[in-house]
Amino acid sequence: MKKLLGAVASVAIVAATQVAADGITIGLSVDQLFESRVAVNNGIHAEAQDRGYDVIEVVADGDAQQQNAQIQSLIAQGVDAILVCAVDQNTIERALIAAKRAGIPVVAYDRDLPDSTVVQSFVGPDSLVDGRLAGEYTAAALAAYEGQINIVELIGALNDQNGIDRSLGFREGIASLENVNIIEVPTDWASDRALSGTQNAFQATPDIAAVFAATDTHIPAVETVLTDLGRLVPVGEEGHVVITGVNGSRDGYDAVMSGTADAFVVMGTEATGRTGVDLVARILAGETVERTNYVGGHLYTAADAEANAAKIWGAPK
Amino acid sequence: MLLKGLRDIASRQKWVAIAMATIVLGGILSVVSPVFLTLSNFQAILVQASVTSIMAIGMTFIILTAGIDISVGAILFVTSALFAQLMISTESYLLAFGVTIICATSLGALNGILVIRFAVSPLITTLATYSIYRGAAIHLTGAQNIPVPREMGFLGNGRILGVPVPILILIAVTILGIYVLNRTRLGVYARAIGNSERSAKETNLPVGRVTVAIYAFSGFVTGIAGLVLLARVGGLQSGIGIGIEFTVIAAVILGGTKLTGGSGTVIGSVIGAIFLVLIDNGLNLMNASPYIYDIVRGSVLLAAVAIDRYSAVRQRAALDAQRASLIAS
Repeated sequence: MKKLLGAVASVAIVAATQVAADGITIGLSVDQLFESRVAVNNGIHAEAQDRGYDVIEVVADGDAQQQNAQIQSLIAQGVDAILVCAVDQNTIERALIAAKRAGIPVVAYDRDLPDSTVVQSFVGPDSLVDGRLAGEYTAAALAAYEGQINIVELIGALNDQNGIDRSLGFREGIASLENVNIIEVPTDWASDRALSGTQNAFQATPDIAAVFAATDTHIPAVETVLTDLGRLVPVGEEGHVVITGVNGSRDGYDAVMSGTADAFVVMGTEATGRTGVDLVARILAGETVERTNYVGGHLYTAADAEANAAKIWGAPK
Repeated sequence: MLLKGLRDIASRQKWVAIAMATIVLGGILSVVSPVFLTLSNFQAILVQASVTSIMAIGMTFIILTAGIDISVGAILFVTSALFAQLMISTESYLLAFGVTIICATSLGALNGILVIRFAVSPLITTLATYSIYRGAAIHLTGAQNIPVPREMGFLGNGRILGVPVPILILIAVTILGIYVLNRTRLGVYARAIGNSERSAKETNLPVGRVTVAIYAFSGFVTGIAGLVLLARVGGLQSGIGIGIEFTVIAAVILGGTKLTGGSGTVIGSVIGAIFLVLIDNGLNLMNASPYIYDIVRGSVLLAAVAIDRYSAVRQRAALDAQRASLIAS
């Protein structure tokens, strides 16, 4: 059924869209829509608009087969380049090969496709560094902690490289701590699973010293659990649980500003989007570009978050 | 003797099988983790199961009619999105609650109308509405996260006389579900339609109206579940409700409701949902590797279904033997 809907959608897009004959048109293939993805896409649209490019955006709703069909339709429409955030590399590789045969360059964003023979360049977060920043902050905050240090780690999707790298980076960041017990809670990026997993972790191990959320959108769920247990103590007070996360969403910003969370690593979503379009432009101009282009994240605490709200994509504007 | 008695009860009341499985799993977990047998952990389990259980109660009625609703996760998302948007624009809890519940009920009713009107498989119909509802919610929110007011946390974190509010809501919806199923014509008709829709039509039962009412009821309780979930996770996110329909359906089937309709209980579905939470709870308490969660979940589900199938076969064999001896005598 989903395949059928995808095919119908593709036909409709082909019929409805007129590709500009003279200008450059970028095909934007999106895995699915959620807050941070929309923020990156906004950067892509803004940069494209600044350069006078057209963008045809298609969203796969997390369905790799649908994304495959959508990329085929972008090729059929004769786009000049494709920017893709893949649901699944293996499923879309055939469509990407078709793009290559049609002479359409492909740039991956946010999620790299390291084994692809087609993708010419990648732009996205350095999740290893982002996780490490949160880990180093946690290590510094718990440097004087005595006894076993129990840390809950809310892991993203187990098959998502960004989630895996954030986890690896976090562990590198806390390497200076001794006697650490990490309690891994799989969430698949879903806050309801983060909520129940955190609740169970606190039941099993009441003396938890810190929580690391692979996405800061899980922090309100952590707040719910701490409130349930009567352990919601603001930053800097006795009994506070050190909370960090990665993303830069409104949830993370609010949690840091209210004193619930200590720090969050903000991804450069707009810069990622703008760089993606810039890479496309340079490839189309015949320039050689770097295969991997990282946009570094930045860690903010309550001390500097408000002053840098303009740089935090999720902060109220 | 005791075993035989339990087996007899289990064969008459299908939910007893999942209740016994839950007790066995609980027994194992209490040995593995000393924390398991604590009041706070029991509360945590019930609170975690509340959203799925509430939705499973509505789904029980639908499956009783041999139907299915794949769109409940999308109804949960769209009504939560509507609530969050209304809170931002009106700041009126009364209006937001009212409109949200009416919307959830209407979307459920629309599913029922489409199922009856087009006489297409409920699976296909609700798969289509799943896409429409989810798309509408994404459009409504622009895929943005929307925090809900802190006071709303009462629905998710609050307590009345020491009992967490989600548990109280679950109890209320369970009582309502049991009452509707066992004490009203809607429940009787639902079973009748599930047993044989053709017979139900031939005896002039209002099949169309009952089907719409049942899907509407499922939408209604899904709306309530959505508000509880929204309060607990602290805000709307575009991933909310994705895949929850499968957990809900699994809970109902584990609880003894036949996928082919006609037989099932509300209490069984609630216990089925609790059983599923127990698996995650146990894995979390044991600090199990995140990579084995899906394997364990799938294996336990498979075992539960196999045991259920085995008991059904034994039950049928016993009935056949009983019938044969009656004929012989």
